[in-house]
Amino acid sequence: MLAQLIVSGLAIGSCYALLALAMVIIYKTSEVLNFAQGEMAMVSTFIAFMLLESYHLPFALAFVLSLVFAFVLGVTLEFIFLRPAKQPTVLGLIVITLGFEMILYGVAGWKWGAEQKSLPFPIPDTSVYNINGVIISQLSVWTFIICLSLMIILFLFFKYTKLGIATKATQQNQIAARLMGIRTKRIFSLTWGLSSMIGAVSGLLLAPITTLDPNLMMDPLLKGFASAVLGGMTSLPGAALGGGILGVIENLFAWYLGEAGFVFKSVVAFAVIILVLCFRPSGLLARHYVKKV
Amino acid sequence: MKLRKNVMLMIGILMAVSLPMLLNCAKKEVGVTEDEILVGVWSAQTGPAALWGAVARGTDCYFKMINDEGGIHGRKLKLLIRDDGYQPARTKAVVKELVEKDGVFAFVGGLGTATGMAVKDYLHANKIPSIAPATGSQLFGNPPTRYLFTIYPTYTTEGSLLTKYAVETLKSEKIAFFYQNDDYGEEGLKGAEDRLAKYNMELVAKVSVEITDTDLSSHVLKLRESEADTVIMFLLPKQAAMTLKEATKLDFKPKWLTTSTLSDVDVMNKITGGLWEGVFFDNWAELPNSDHPLMVKYREVHKKYAPKEHWGVFFAAGFVFAEPFVEALRRVGRDLTREKLVEAMESIKNWNGGSTHNVTFGPNLRQGTNSIFIGKCENGRAVRISDWMEIEQ
Repeated sequence: MLAQLIVSGLAIGSCYALLALAMVIIYKTSEVLNFAQGEMAMVSTFIAFMLLESYHLPFALAFVLSLVFAFVLGVTLEFIFLRPAKQPTVLGLIVITLGFEMILYGVAGWKWGAEQKSLPFPIPDTSVYNINGVIISQLSVWTFIICLSLMIILFLFFKYTKLGIATKATQQNQIAARLMGIRTKRIFSLTWGLSSMIGAVSGLLLAPITTLDPNLMMDPLLKGFASAVLGGMTSLPGAALGGGILGVIENLFAWYLGEAGFVFKSVVAFAVIILVLCFRPSGLLARHYVKKV
Repeated sequence: MKLRKNVMLMIGILMAVSLPMLLNCAKKEVGVTEDEILVGVWSAQTGPAALWGAVARGTDCYFKMINDEGGIHGRKLKLLIRDDGYQPARTKAVVKELVEKDGVFAFVGGLGTATGMAVKDYLHANKIPSIAPATGSQLFGNPPTRYLFTIYPTYTTEGSLLTKYAVETLKSEKIAFFYQNDDYGEEGLKGAEDRLAKYNMELVAKVSVEITDTDLSSHVLKLRESEADTVIMFLLPKQAAMTLKEATKLDFKPKWLTTSTLSDVDVMNKITGGLWEGVFFDNWAELPNSDHPLMVKYREVHKKYAPKEHWGVFFAAGFVFAEPFVEALRRVGRDLTREKLVEAMESIKNWNGGSTHNVTFGPNLRQGTNSIFIGKCENGRAVRISDWMEIEQ
């Protein structure tokens, strides 16, 4: 039973982890928490749904197109809403993302309605592998693999590519980076687009497990945020680890505390945030750094 | 002379002021004119509960049908739908606006428990009838209040009768209860537990879920561990769909019973990928796709006025909630006031002219129906499989 709980926890944890990755990418470069992350992913998922249902495109094409849409959406948000902000503070930018979240939520409700929809997905959520009594669905396995590979790709991207290093530089000192010839504004747009894409992947993987409606990402976003805090807001492996740990903690908590456990299952994430902020504010894997004034 | 002029002026002013007031008296009742009755409804058209917003739009469609048939005693019904986003604070604001600015005659089918509770006292204090709020919470019909009539059987009734059906007809021996952690789920749980106590039985497991939960793996594991042969679900469509998928993964196959809230077989089958087959549910009004003459008629009306809406249990409920209201209006006659509406509502006894069963109100009785029947999803269609079952009072 313990094994089953851990496996199920890891399965949902990889979805949290994807959202955490998306949040971390933006936070790494601009220290902005993107509250529209969930709704951006939700809208991108709806785009995939629309392409599949109304235009009958093959799944792979719809998948790619919705990721392209997600990228454009991220870049557009950065370009239209964040860039024009005059003398922006981090808090001001966060509030802008909140506004964008509400706009997207409203638009999705108006365009696609509140009824639950089902996203036709090529890997069914109900076909399973049974390993010594421990059951895991094919979809969960794929989610886990996708999450891990995206994390590794991003990690390598930030560590070894020129663009990745430029991103890092932008985060550490914007002015110096600009003086070195890095087009920091472009870097910001790029990270928003990238993050939006990763978010969309998590939306596309979550929709077949739950159902598709405008509330798709409400809860997962909070969990993703908690995972990111747990793993360290600036660390990619941390975000992935945080997601996995949170998924498992939730399941074990609910199971072993019985009735009360289920009532508080979704609150555990917040307890995790508070504990981490109290005892290890930089998270599990991020290095604590102090800004010199 | 000057004094006389002043007196004349005073009289003139008095007359000018009082004349419209006199005319107003002739108008008799707020929200009722020569050719129109103004009705209000609060409803979530946006936000997390927007799914149920279809109820109010269904009522609007029903009113259009009534108006097409000549209205009621020469008056047309006009429905004002106000969106409260399912937030009680906003419900207060929109209801106040409907009462004090638009001047509605009555409310029909106001959506939600917490939202309805937020305006219950206000409506009572202003003596404004609120007919058939769209909620099954027992907080509305009991204790009875003069201006509030409800026809949705309580969630407790649903829980109790579902349990009765499980034990007596399905011969279930181990029943587990899976519920949403709010009034909807808890009142249903109470109904089930009280019923089981009568058979000297107990639930083998009760598991609650939060409305926002996206991962139900541990919940369903708990249900499986209890080895229940029957699970009663008081959930919303999303969680119910996830439950069935999760149970399929874990190879857990009990009999599933659920409430009228989840009786929209088309939607449920679609979002579960066909797993809804064989699920039992209760309903307190004729099934939207049944051959009942009213439903056949309503389907045609739906096609005519709202072809883009999904014809499902929520949209149809908008028709059902408004039926007793329209019946009472017919009974009142041309001379319509709020007090007379209340009296006419109270005169409804064992009424089967709508799509519900034995609607009965009385001077101290505000819970209009207590009957449900059981349906089942067979070959992708909702099929009625039992007679009306009524709760013992």
